[in-house]
Amino acid sequence: MRFFLVLSLLFFVLGCSFERKDDKDQANKKLKYWCAPNPEEIELAKILVDKWNRLHPEIQVEVQPLPAGQSSEEVLLSAIAGRTTPDVCSNIWPGAISEYTKAGGLVALDEFEDFDSLVNARRIPVELLESFKSGDGHIYQLPWKTNPIMLLYNVKIFKEAGLERPPRTYSEFFEACEKIKQLGIFPGYTDIRPIWWQRFFDFYPFYIASSGGKTLFKGENFDIDYNSAVKVFEFFRTCFKMGYFPITNFQVDPFLTGKVAMRFTGPWTIAYLERNKPDGFEYDFAPIPVPNDHQGKVYTYGDPKNIAIFSTTKYKREAWEFVKFLVSEYSDSLLLEICNQLPIRGDLLENRKFTGYFNRNLKMKVFAQQTPFTRGIDSGVEMKEIFDAISREFEACAVYGVKSPEEAVRNLIKRSKIILEWSK
Amino acid sequence: MNRKISTYIPLLIGAIFFAYPFLWMFFASLKPETQISELWLLSKNLNLKNYSIVFAKIPILRAFFNSLLVSTTITLSVIVFGSIVGYALSRLNFKGRDFILLLILFTMMIPFQITLIPTYVLIVKLGLVDSYAGLIFPGMMNSLAILIFRGFFTTIPQSLIESARIDGCNNLQILFKIIMPLSKPAVATVGILTFTSSWNEVLWPLIVIRSEKLMTMPQLVTIFVVGGQAGSQLGVQLASATLLALPIIFAYVFLQRYFIESLARTGLKE
Amino acid sequence: MVKMSKVDSKAGYFMVMPYLIYFAAFIAYPLIFSFILIFHRWNIVTPMEFIGLKNFVRLFKDELFFKSIINTLIFLSIHIPLQIVIALFFANLLNKQIKFRSLFRALYFLPVVVSSVVVTILWQQMYAYETGLINQVLSGFGFKKIPWLVSPEIAMPSIAVMATWKNVGFYIVLFLAGLQSIPNELYEVAEIDGASSFQKFYRITLPLLNPTVVLVIVLSTIGGFSLFIEPYILTGGGPLDSTLSAMLYIYNQAFYFNHMGYAATLGFFFALVILVVVIAQRKFIEREVY
Repeated sequence: MRFFLVLSLLFFVLGCSFERKDDKDQANKKLKYWCAPNPEEIELAKILVDKWNRLHPEIQVEVQPLPAGQSSEEVLLSAIAGRTTPDVCSNIWPGAISEYTKAGGLVALDEFEDFDSLVNARRIPVELLESFKSGDGHIYQLPWKTNPIMLLYNVKIFKEAGLERPPRTYSEFFEACEKIKQLGIFPGYTDIRPIWWQRFFDFYPFYIASSGGKTLFKGENFDIDYNSAVKVFEFFRTCFKMGYFPITNFQVDPFLTGKVAMRFTGPWTIAYLERNKPDGFEYDFAPIPVPNDHQGKVYTYGDPKNIAIFSTTKYKREAWEFVKFLVSEYSDSLLLEICNQLPIRGDLLENRKFTGYFNRNLKMKVFAQQTPFTRGIDSGVEMKEIFDAISREFEACAVYGVKSPEEAVRNLIKRSKIILEWSK
Repeated sequence: MNRKISTYIPLLIGAIFFAYPFLWMFFASLKPETQISELWLLSKNLNLKNYSIVFAKIPILRAFFNSLLVSTTITLSVIVFGSIVGYALSRLNFKGRDFILLLILFTMMIPFQITLIPTYVLIVKLGLVDSYAGLIFPGMMNSLAILIFRGFFTTIPQSLIESARIDGCNNLQILFKIIMPLSKPAVATVGILTFTSSWNEVLWPLIVIRSEKLMTMPQLVTIFVVGGQAGSQLGVQLASATLLALPIIFAYVFLQRYFIESLARTGLKE
Repeated sequence: MVKMSKVDSKAGYFMVMPYLIYFAAFIAYPLIFSFILIFHRWNIVTPMEFIGLKNFVRLFKDELFFKSIINTLIFLSIHIPLQIVIALFFANLLNKQIKFRSLFRALYFLPVVVSSVVVTILWQQMYAYETGLINQVLSGFGFKKIPWLVSPEIAMPSIAVMATWKNVGFYIVLFLAGLQSIPNELYEVAEIDGASSFQKFYRITLPLLNPTVVLVIVLSTIGGFSLFIEPYILTGGGPLDSTLSAMLYIYNQAFYFNHMGYAATLGFFFALVILVVVIAQRKFIEREVY
């Protein structure tokens, strides 16, 4: 009898070790996941990956932040060339998608059969999803998070100036500026340096708002909305000409010190303001102003970051499952809690899972409302250089007033054509 | 008397112009943000807060060591190889010697603007991006150093070399045991020139190094100030600049004569 | 010279080998490769695409590039004369019998050894419009503040002044050495003949100093063409592209927009411009002497 027990014990142990080998073979399914290098997103990634690994012992995920001090786009492009790409990356900038696909690096996500149901479950508006489509009609990036640019204003200064609510149209904006100017304060401020990404905080959100959600490209063709662009240039030119915006760069934050009443920025500013604001400082957010004859919703630029699966992956199905997990309600609620960034979902204020967060972070509600009405950068080529051209025209026309808005936009179209022609 | 004053006053004003800004920068980095723009150096609130922020935000000590490693290696390499080639060109006779000399002179005339991008491409192909080798290799040899050594070596009396050869020394031994000890001015010149220019070099590291861990000190400070990590905190920016200036100023205080003389000598060389 | 044996010849080849390897790798290869790259489009990551002369077509349509070259020339046209005048002035003073000469010399030379990065960050504070040091001094004396880096007309000259401040110490030392090599007897003879200080300077000092002046001009020119880090830190090329130097533009094309082939083409063209300028300078200056 004992002999039998010992034998069966032996068999059991042997069997387990065999099984463990099998498990090891199964658990050999490893996915590499790269996240953005900032501390909050790293923390979020670690928590999500831990949970996933516990729930899915057969598909283990290893997370690694992208190197800091380096442009993620460059890192990813080199990885694609050197075939050292991860399976999944969640710091995908839409403006670089065409470079990644040209290098043959991404998996078309709309080919997964449950892609549509996933998108619907997140209530992503159709046009928003369309704006992430590539030239070949496929979608290579899953919309993940966004940081809508909105109007930030100093509530106290507004009260002092007799303004009851933030301005909604260009005329209201100028009226508000006049009143604030009487107080000896600069009504608004934007960084005037002609750096290409600066325009994400002035020209581009206003353009998207003015054009009712149109971006710069239609498919692969440069298709800027001439009238909207002219109106936006005209708006900023007036601001600088009338002295509403200063033509200088401040060394110390002028909004916090009350030197400037309004700025255009995103939700990340909330944490910064809360940490550094002087006593009694009150602020709030509002949608970007639009031309007086504007109809319909107010859109804005959302600086989206999306998720992509790389074509070097050996486990397409598993990677997709992991991606779905990254955009689940659970993960999205953590994205809100830990990073204070907004998931690209249309149900942020209706879904009960997020109510707690928004009740605790009232300022974020305005952003949540704005989220479905954002646009990103087109996935066309040469986006950086095109924005560089926009920056130059902006500087010449709006800041220094040496060009008329029409001239500036015409010049912009000309230079963009040269840039695009050369890249064909 | 009058003459003396009219000489000393401009000199003094000049000295203030050239030195005061550095002093101001140092003291400004010790002041709280609101007092930075003051012209006067001293203030009641001097503190080291900005420096602690710099040390917390960027690996500046590491960058210092990176710079030290890279510059020292490059300097040693330039001295060693420069002297070897300079010796061959000045004391040895072989076919093609004059051709190589012409080649070296030609190299000095090529503007780096044309070789910059292809050299970067070469470094990428060799897989040396983000590596110390990528920083060091392109700097390992220097035409000017070769010419300086060559020029100096022609002044060494032939008799010394002859007697060493009779004693059975080979060329390398002649070079390093006999000639180099006699060439201290040349070594100092080449050493200081190479070290200073490689320490201050910032364009090449900006191109070749992307990982913060490997950045050289000037590169790290540039990215820190331009890239916005310092936020709009002026004091922190000035603190990082002061830290960057300290090593060279420190060396300069002690070796000042050698600095000036070596740089001046290169001018006369032309 | 004693005729060397064959053994020495071989040693010669060995010893020159390091340079030849270096030359092949870092000079010959890049030069040849740049000629190839000029006819391609490449972002390093994806394979090179042959596009024939398209890079040149773009170059000639590229107003911004030509503007950057002109900006660089503007910079040089201010920086070089300023440098010569100031360096001569101080070298002259230092040449006299004064105490503390090495102290003064050391102070003037200090900016030369310090990194350009430090100098640029420092001058960013000197030039700041609202709170900058220079404007503070000006307002203190009742003058208006000057938009040093914000005005398109003044920005490049401001950078030229800063570059002069940084480098002039080196040229002071060069001129000083040149001055000290002029024999005193020449001045004594001139004094006996009744020459004024001005005449002494114009007829004796300048001509004899000519080689040094030539040297200063050539060195400053070559240095000036590589103007990069100062506009990179101070202005990013603005305002209105007035401080966009050629090197900065090429850098942006290569490393921001990843247009390697186009950047190589720009570099090639720019190198030609430099050669033309340097040769023209040599001809012009040499004519001056005779």
